[in-house]
Amino acid sequence: MNTTLLVQLLVNGVIVGALYGVVAMCFVLIYKASQVVNFAQGEFVLIGAWACWWLVATLKLPFWLSFPVCLVFMALLGVLVQVIVLRPLIGEPVISIVMVTIGLSIFFQALLKWMFGVFVQPFPQVFETQTVQILGLNVESAYLMSLAISLVIMAGFAYFFKYSRMGLAMRATAFDQQAAQSMGVSVKQVFAISWAISSVVSALAGVVVGLVSGVSASVANVGVKVFPAVIVGGLESIIGGVLGGLIIGLLEGLAQFVDSEYLHVGNLITIAPFYAMLIILLIKPYGLFGTKTIERV
Amino acid sequence: MKRLATLTATLAVLAAAPAFAQQAKIKIGNLIDYTGATSSTGKFSGPGKVDAIAWINKNGGINGKLIDAEIVDYGYQTQRSIQLYKKWKDEGAVAILGYGTNDTEAMVGFVADDKMPYFSFSFSGHLTDPTGISAKAKEGKIKPAPYNFFGQVSYSDGARALVLWAAEDWKKKGGQGKPKYIHMGDNHPYPLAPKEAGENLAKESGFDVLPSIQYALAGGDFKAQCLALQASGANYAFLGNTTGANVALIRSCTTVGVNVQFMANIWGIDEAGTKAIGKGANGVVSVLAQPMWGSNVPGMAKFREISAMSDTTGKAFRPIPYAVGACQVLHLAEGLRLADKAGKLNGPGIKEALETLKDFVPTGFDGMCTPVTWSPTDHRSVDTVNIGRASVTGETEQGEVGDLVAAGTIKLEKIAEQKVPRKPEWQGY
Amino acid sequence: MAGSMRPAGDYRTTYASDRTIFPTSGSFYAVCLGIALLCTGPFFLSSYSLALLIQIGIYGIGALGLNILVGFTGQISLGHAAFFGFGAFTSAYLSSKFAVPVALSIPLAGIVTGLLGVIVGLPAARLKGLYLAIATLASQFVLQDFFSRAQWFTGGAAGASAEPYRLFGLSLSGDQKYLYVVLFHVVVMYVFAANLMRTRDGRAMVAVRDHYLSAEIMGVNLTYYRILAFGISSLYAGVAGALMAHYTSFVSSEAFDLLLSVNFLAMVIIGGLGSVMGSLMGTVFIMVLPEVMQAAVRNIQGLGFAQSSAFTEGLAYLKEMAIGLAIVLFLIFEPDGLAARWRKIRAYWKLYPFSY
Repeated sequence: MNTTLLVQLLVNGVIVGALYGVVAMCFVLIYKASQVVNFAQGEFVLIGAWACWWLVATLKLPFWLSFPVCLVFMALLGVLVQVIVLRPLIGEPVISIVMVTIGLSIFFQALLKWMFGVFVQPFPQVFETQTVQILGLNVESAYLMSLAISLVIMAGFAYFFKYSRMGLAMRATAFDQQAAQSMGVSVKQVFAISWAISSVVSALAGVVVGLVSGVSASVANVGVKVFPAVIVGGLESIIGGVLGGLIIGLLEGLAQFVDSEYLHVGNLITIAPFYAMLIILLIKPYGLFGTKTIERV
Repeated sequence: MKRLATLTATLAVLAAAPAFAQQAKIKIGNLIDYTGATSSTGKFSGPGKVDAIAWINKNGGINGKLIDAEIVDYGYQTQRSIQLYKKWKDEGAVAILGYGTNDTEAMVGFVADDKMPYFSFSFSGHLTDPTGISAKAKEGKIKPAPYNFFGQVSYSDGARALVLWAAEDWKKKGGQGKPKYIHMGDNHPYPLAPKEAGENLAKESGFDVLPSIQYALAGGDFKAQCLALQASGANYAFLGNTTGANVALIRSCTTVGVNVQFMANIWGIDEAGTKAIGKGANGVVSVLAQPMWGSNVPGMAKFREISAMSDTTGKAFRPIPYAVGACQVLHLAEGLRLADKAGKLNGPGIKEALETLKDFVPTGFDGMCTPVTWSPTDHRSVDTVNIGRASVTGETEQGEVGDLVAAGTIKLEKIAEQKVPRKPEWQGY
Repeated sequence: MAGSMRPAGDYRTTYASDRTIFPTSGSFYAVCLGIALLCTGPFFLSSYSLALLIQIGIYGIGALGLNILVGFTGQISLGHAAFFGFGAFTSAYLSSKFAVPVALSIPLAGIVTGLLGVIVGLPAARLKGLYLAIATLASQFVLQDFFSRAQWFTGGAAGASAEPYRLFGLSLSGDQKYLYVVLFHVVVMYVFAANLMRTRDGRAMVAVRDHYLSAEIMGVNLTYYRILAFGISSLYAGVAGALMAHYTSFVSSEAFDLLLSVNFLAMVIIGGLGSVMGSLMGTVFIMVLPEVMQAAVRNIQGLGFAQSSAFTEGLAYLKEMAIGLAIVLFLIFEPDGLAARWRKIRAYWKLYPFSY
């Protein structure tokens, strides 16, 4: 058995999985707060990537300045999308909301291709050293940035949800929308803020993907990886989403190892997470860490 | 009622009148993907087609007849391409300038039934057998495609050329033992098309053929695949995907530090891709469809005329897919010209005309358009493959592709010419 | 059948009248007339219009299948295109490898796809809402992977060729004749669906959608009906896919991607969830929208002030954006779909000029 390969693949799995986790976190945040399944999650990542790329590469602003500007823009965009598109759909069935976010993703894909072209654009390097060695594996520094920032974000979330007024309101809304509203929580505000936070964090993920493999429409594909991650992690918890991302990353690494060393089926790396997801759903219909909701009539 | 009929007749005459006054036109269908999954190719090959048509019309058209070929985006969706095809057929189109894998494959049956020559940017080997004489067709694996044409090397022959080049390269470098060959690509018709051809020839040429590694056409982080590639110890890796995915793969592999000779197929790498990869692109070998813009070849002067159709400043940069699009139009135009001369300006006439072409290069385009040969039994148009090598000599993150190419920072140089003979056993795949 | 017009109020007094497919004899005759008109189509329509009708018919069958699952039973599926593709490959395989007559291989492909749907539906029986959406998304990817892997079945990279439709030694390929084939299948499949909704099974499905707990208490076997809905929906997708295969006479695995699944969903939602005719209306909308956009683009170009390829390109992006936007706007302003809008228009005229 090729242990070095296995270790390297697993380390890589954790690193890449952490990114999936960040995107899954955005997805769960919106779902938890507003019960919206965002199939345009990948496009938000892509918009973030292009917006930051534009500021850095075209306007040639320094990264420390352009990054916050880009995040502010994303926050505004998130609020805008929520207010214009999703607010009128409150109370509609899941399927309509799924469809509206799919419609949004079609719209954004075309818009972005029009604005920024269809080619892969390299993201100007923002770190002195582009790669760092971890356990014998070269890893792009961008991933470490994302790891660090996402840890900060998670700590921030923990504090925000536990102690701040807004955070409490958001938790209350997620738990019971009607009760929260009757207690004076502005549900509209909560929805808007959850979209703002989510798109800001998406932009972060977008910058990381852009730094690693260049910015192009394919950045949005990270949105598809989110689904196995949230199924594994359960839709209810933000930490679950992150864990789910990590598990999917590890699973991909493992699948690649088994595939290239023993089975030679080919393509296990892309397809294994989906098989895993189907099996998990067969055994636990609410995901690995999800809780069964008790329904009273 | 009678008055109504008269009125209608008058209106019809009025509507038709300008048509008589105008020059005679030849209707051609013209498909492109500007917005869909393969738009990075369509973005440049589309203008190539448009400009070449405008250039032909400006220079006398087809024996005095103008080509009428409005270009239409179909977003890489099969059902839309079928609709467009039917519309053009109704409008009396005599040939179609098609586009990618999905529309071409959906149309193989239609164009055979309607006897409509169909040029595509899909260079799949199974479109090269017009009569069903190949071994593959006899096994029932493929169907004859009598009306499909393309004036480029097929995906499979591209892979064969790269394998032959790799075998020589291994000898030249004084490599010891058996070199290892690996096919990489997605589980998708386009990257899979040349897999069998490449692997079979590699085995015959003394390579160890390793189990293939998959990476998504859609792109992503491919460090896991690169680690597996490194562990496999491959010497020559064939990249079957398109530019976007190859950029991501080569970037990931540069990070991991894989030491392997990458060989990309015909749509596998272009100038924009090389820019996006940066220094990691150094030494990547590929099937070079056309010489780069600004190369020192006799045909470049005429090519600038075509480019000037949409760019009067003469400064626009035209990457390789642009030239592929333009040459495709020029090939079809020759077919139209011959067919028109023979008085058979229809599908079968154009097919017949095209099948008489032998080592044909559009007049004045030497060195730009590859010589093509079609015969009634063999649609493998090209048997000489240009092998190119990418070189990057500086930072590529800033600046436009065109400037970087002009400055010589990015280069796709022709390093070899590989003959891929039209062996009967290689036809059809 | 009641009179040709329906009275303004709801005067139905029997269950039988509640269950009729056609509320008035007028609507029955209208449908018959429509079918008769379509039958004469091949004599005067261009092959562009015929191809559009054929594609609307084929995708309309697929959309109806999805509506049975989504609209009637309340299950979500994002993997419909994969079943559509499976039907296409199955029919091509049966007709070319085993020389099964195409007239037979199309329904057979439907049945085989239906069985596959039952298998895929097994986990779905326990899933709800988003979890189900994601599970079906997984089956889309798994099946797509299977298509490019199973060389013996799909022809791999070279694709599979499907035999032309022949009946009693008479070739029915080509737009003119194939329209009749598609029309026949559309009528059969739509009548079947309309009838299904009048049976015990159909009502059970609706009960599962409306309130599955109440349905269970009423004695409806939830698992059974959820799986049945999956099976029927896949059967429809399979038949539609098979029709497509014999229309183009060539099947390539590339055509059955997530985008097509999304298109199917858009047809169903825009047409109206839980409406048989709505499925057809939605299909017409989704199929005609790009054509209308294209015509608009053409007219703008025809104004003659810009012929550059950059301009054409810009319009192409605008067209794509308009399609995305149309879906979003539809859901915001007409969440019940075209079928509901049609009902409103009819109600308006019924009471004209006293409508409010």
